[in-house]
Amino acid sequence: MSLLASLAAQAAQPVTPVTSVLVETPSVDWWGLLPLILLAAPAMVLLHASSLLRRVFRGFYATASVGIAGTAAAFAIVQWFRVTDLDGGRGPYTTVASAYTVDGYSVFITVVLCVAVIVSSLVADGYLRREGLDGAETYALLLLSASGGVVMASANDLIVLFLGLEVLSIPVYVLAASHLRRSASQEAGFKYFILGAFASAFFLYGIALVYGATGSTNLGTIRQTLQDDPFVDGGALLLAGAAFLLVGFGFKVAAVPFHAWTPDVYQGAPSPVVSYMASGVKAAGFAGLVRVFDVTLAGQVRDWQPIVVGLAVLTLLGGSVLAVAQTDVKRMLAYSSISHAGFLLVGVAVASPEGAAAVLFYLAAYGLMIGGTFAVVTAVAGPGEQATGIDAFRGLGRRQPMLALGFTVLLFAQTGVPLTSGFFAKFGVIKAAVDGGWYWLAAVAMLSAVVGAFVYLRLVVAMFMVEDIDPHHGDGDVVAATPAPVAMPAALTLALAATVVATLVVGFLPGLLTDLAGDAVPVVLATLP
Amino acid sequence: MSMFLAAAETASTPFPHLLTLLVLVPAVGSAVVALISKQRPDVCRQAAFLFSATAGALAVYLLWNFDVADGGFQFVESTTWVRDFGIGWRLGVDGISLFLVVLSGLLFPFVILAITPEHDPKPYYAWLLLLQAGSLGVFVALDLFAFFVFFEIVLVPMYFLIGSWGHGNRTYAAMKFFLFTMFGSALMLVGILALVATAADAIGAGATFDIRELAQADLATNTARLIFCAFALAFAVKVPIFPLHTWLPDAHTEAPTAGSVILAGIMLKLGTYGFVRFGLYLFPEASRWAAPVFLTLGVVGILYGAVVATMQRDLKRLVAYSSVAHLGFIVLGTFAMNSQGVTGGIMQMVNHGLSTGALFLLVGMIYERRHTREIAELNGLQRSAPIMAAVFTVVMLSSIGLPGLNGFVGEFLILNGTFIANRWYAVIAAVGVILAALYLLWAYQRVFHGTPRSVENESFADLRLREGLAVGALLVPIVVLGVYPKPMIERIEPSVAVLLEHIEARTGVAPAEGPTAERSTVEELFGAGHGDDASHGANAGKVDK
Amino acid sequence: MWLNQFLILGALLFCIGVYGVLARRNGVMVLMSIELILNSVNINLVAFGAFNGTPVGQVFALFVIAVAAAEVGVGLAIVLLIYRNRTSIDLDAADLLKG
Repeated sequence: MSLLASLAAQAAQPVTPVTSVLVETPSVDWWGLLPLILLAAPAMVLLHASSLLRRVFRGFYATASVGIAGTAAAFAIVQWFRVTDLDGGRGPYTTVASAYTVDGYSVFITVVLCVAVIVSSLVADGYLRREGLDGAETYALLLLSASGGVVMASANDLIVLFLGLEVLSIPVYVLAASHLRRSASQEAGFKYFILGAFASAFFLYGIALVYGATGSTNLGTIRQTLQDDPFVDGGALLLAGAAFLLVGFGFKVAAVPFHAWTPDVYQGAPSPVVSYMASGVKAAGFAGLVRVFDVTLAGQVRDWQPIVVGLAVLTLLGGSVLAVAQTDVKRMLAYSSISHAGFLLVGVAVASPEGAAAVLFYLAAYGLMIGGTFAVVTAVAGPGEQATGIDAFRGLGRRQPMLALGFTVLLFAQTGVPLTSGFFAKFGVIKAAVDGGWYWLAAVAMLSAVVGAFVYLRLVVAMFMVEDIDPHHGDGDVVAATPAPVAMPAALTLALAATVVATLVVGFLPGLLTDLAGDAVPVVLATLP
Repeated sequence: MSMFLAAAETASTPFPHLLTLLVLVPAVGSAVVALISKQRPDVCRQAAFLFSATAGALAVYLLWNFDVADGGFQFVESTTWVRDFGIGWRLGVDGISLFLVVLSGLLFPFVILAITPEHDPKPYYAWLLLLQAGSLGVFVALDLFAFFVFFEIVLVPMYFLIGSWGHGNRTYAAMKFFLFTMFGSALMLVGILALVATAADAIGAGATFDIRELAQADLATNTARLIFCAFALAFAVKVPIFPLHTWLPDAHTEAPTAGSVILAGIMLKLGTYGFVRFGLYLFPEASRWAAPVFLTLGVVGILYGAVVATMQRDLKRLVAYSSVAHLGFIVLGTFAMNSQGVTGGIMQMVNHGLSTGALFLLVGMIYERRHTREIAELNGLQRSAPIMAAVFTVVMLSSIGLPGLNGFVGEFLILNGTFIANRWYAVIAAVGVILAALYLLWAYQRVFHGTPRSVENESFADLRLREGLAVGALLVPIVVLGVYPKPMIERIEPSVAVLLEHIEARTGVAPAEGPTAERSTVEELFGAGHGDDASHGANAGKVDK
Repeated sequence: MWLNQFLILGALLFCIGVYGVLARRNGVMVLMSIELILNSVNINLVAFGAFNGTPVGQVFALFVIAVAAAEVGVGLAIVLLIYRNRTSIDLDAADLLKG
């Protein structure tokens, strides 16, 4: 019978009145969902509170935001011990009808997202007051976006993954456009929205195709189906779906050639928001990418690995080479962010537990680094974000040495100088690549790191090696107009100091973080419905 | 394998964490100096000297308690650093690294004392101390990861020293230095990881970065050769070997005096030490395979450096190119892969540090007085500065390799070793000795001899007391080592013998012997004891204590 | 009816939508094209759901409709923001940030 005829037949049957029917609802482990709830619900409460409270002390919303994210992170850490203890504890598990997983991997990314929100909130505090945009909206949107990211990292179902992606992205579109006085911000938000919605649509199309190929949207079921029958449905539908998914993810994590939005959006959006974009959104994006490709489609690795490797190479080279030509610091950091995404893609491409652990470490280390970097950029850019060229940094080493020194540490961390977290992050990824036999890919990655070094060194040169002072000929001509000293609000200083210290501590004792990243990974593979 | 560990166990360790302390003291000192207020430059200097000299004292203590007869690693310490990766904090010193450690320990306090920065003393001393910590770390690291960390970390302070306190084109020179060196090390990192990965398969145990264990791994020939090339590229940039040397003249010329002294004295040795410790030790077969290439490049470097130095108009650039030539000799000796060659190379590393460091010091003094390094503008300085001229003469002759000074001992050993291994390389290299005499004597004649042709040259100030003491401190070892090098050689030689035995065991090819297996004039000249140990194929005798 | 027919329809709508996003200068038209793409996905989802015999496809389609509504709401708000400042929703005129 045709579909329409059967539907018509069903409609024609008499309807029996229903008195009471026991609807079987799925079991929900509220403890597992707690970090998510602790991010989303207080965010909405904050929004309501902002319209009800008449007078709040300075920095109330930032404090609230930090507190909320901190609480969520604390609960996530408690959950970590529960979930990674395979003998006595609960172990990894899925809840809500196996649509949502709670395992070491998702908890790790949850904590990374919360830290990203904390750093961005601290930076946004002074920024919003300076720009006259003070209010709860930015913080509420950051928290909501983070909750979407948590969902994306914990998703065990493609529907949930998509929902998480949307909840992650839509607040960030709004946040990118939130600086009402800068038309660059509105344009950035507009561009980000159009391209982001476009990519989400691609992503969705991929989900539909994968669902069609495997008959389910549950990641565990998909994995099982593919293991039983690798050539399901002739393979073409699945591969096409995977390709579309890759396009969607590629946009989110700014892989070349889906990177075109990144420089414009990073340049136009308010700097604290860019800080969150570079740390939190990227983390959530890669979390989803690893879960879908490295775990679920692990059996099809020979199909998608060459493409991801190609993406990684393009991203590495494109990001570092294009960064060299930039004169605006925010655009430069955007392209450098693209090259870091290339490193992360190498970790994804090698499709091994070491690669996944390396990706986790890199996300955590990079999130801290870039948070601190954009804190400095926020401070130096000045009111209205006018001063974002390299010239704004010229001579900063002399005027405000501690700021310049902190910035230098972060820049060297991004370069990959040893004894910083960035070095070990790159080391982990390269090691995973070499262990997997991808020697040439590792060499390309290291070469792109060298090219990228030039970009960061240029900033260091501008800060410290001001050329108009020649010691042999006495004090040179005074620089035409000494720039105003950079205002450093207390919260921003705190964020910067914390990220610099964390970068150095992880650099000296990387074992602290590698152990955690390593413990998170085997747990991922154990999630099945 | 057992002989190394046995040597380590039997070596007395009166001071269990000496090497860790050695590396940490300057690093902590760097942080302390960074915290001192910049209003008190004298306090900065004193604190910096204190920390640096403490490290120097520890290095001297190390030298004093070094067991001469032991060819293995001494003062070994080993703790886990990153468990999952097999990375450990492993330090140890043997005859090959001992004198480089002492040089690093003593050259830095010397530089701090002798040279004052023109501006911003606080960060200057902080960077110098960090540089000392990094250099010491490179020479004592027994773990590939630790080595790489220290190898890379020295780039940062050097970059700042050149870029902030240097002359004219300093930003370009600093950037070029950093990017060139980082390019080399970038590929070395891939090589390190590849070595660890393939060795883990070969050994069977978990992955480890310990070079003592990695040296025992049996790698496939082509794999070993490829990985050796990755390492060799990094070291070749650092040494520097022609044609990767282009960063050196700019870096040396534009660096401040202290930077040049340290660069020549220690930084360049990181590359040559790397060749011995990691090239020869970890990849013996690949080293033997690549030896003709490096011997050739060494000879090319000697001749090229000498020829280009002859054409230089800038005195400092001339000395920089002479460095290229000298390091060509060291590379030559290293890849001769016999006792004389390698021992000579190691000794020459120290000698070059002393003599070229002194040369840069003197050129710095000339620049400070005359604000020019152009040879054409400097003439007849001997008239008004006879003492400086005399000191310059001694240092220059050491650089040329005049017998009686330290340069001769090293060069002779190297040429001897190279001649034994492959005759024609030594013949051509010997021409380089003549060329060295050519450009140095000619430069000296133009700068010091003759009548001064300008007022500034007439009133050129002679060595002040402090400067005299500084250069004198360098002159003493230059002369002493030239006349009595035995204490140095007798500590280097056993470790070199162990290394050569390791190479022989792994490749099955004995190091080249002299025309006769009996004592050569080398031993008679230097009074090395008897010790005709038949089990050692090397020619230089072992010294009994 | 064959499954392919629905898939072809979905693909056709998808391509029209993509063309609209790439070629249209009017901001609202671009938003409409994105909506078109999302609806093409809906068609695919429902078709696959019927083909597989599970309600997942239809459930997912409901989710997509809701999310698309939210998305286009936000999108129009941003378009309005730009319109207020520029009195134009011409995409090509938004060129402050050069690629």
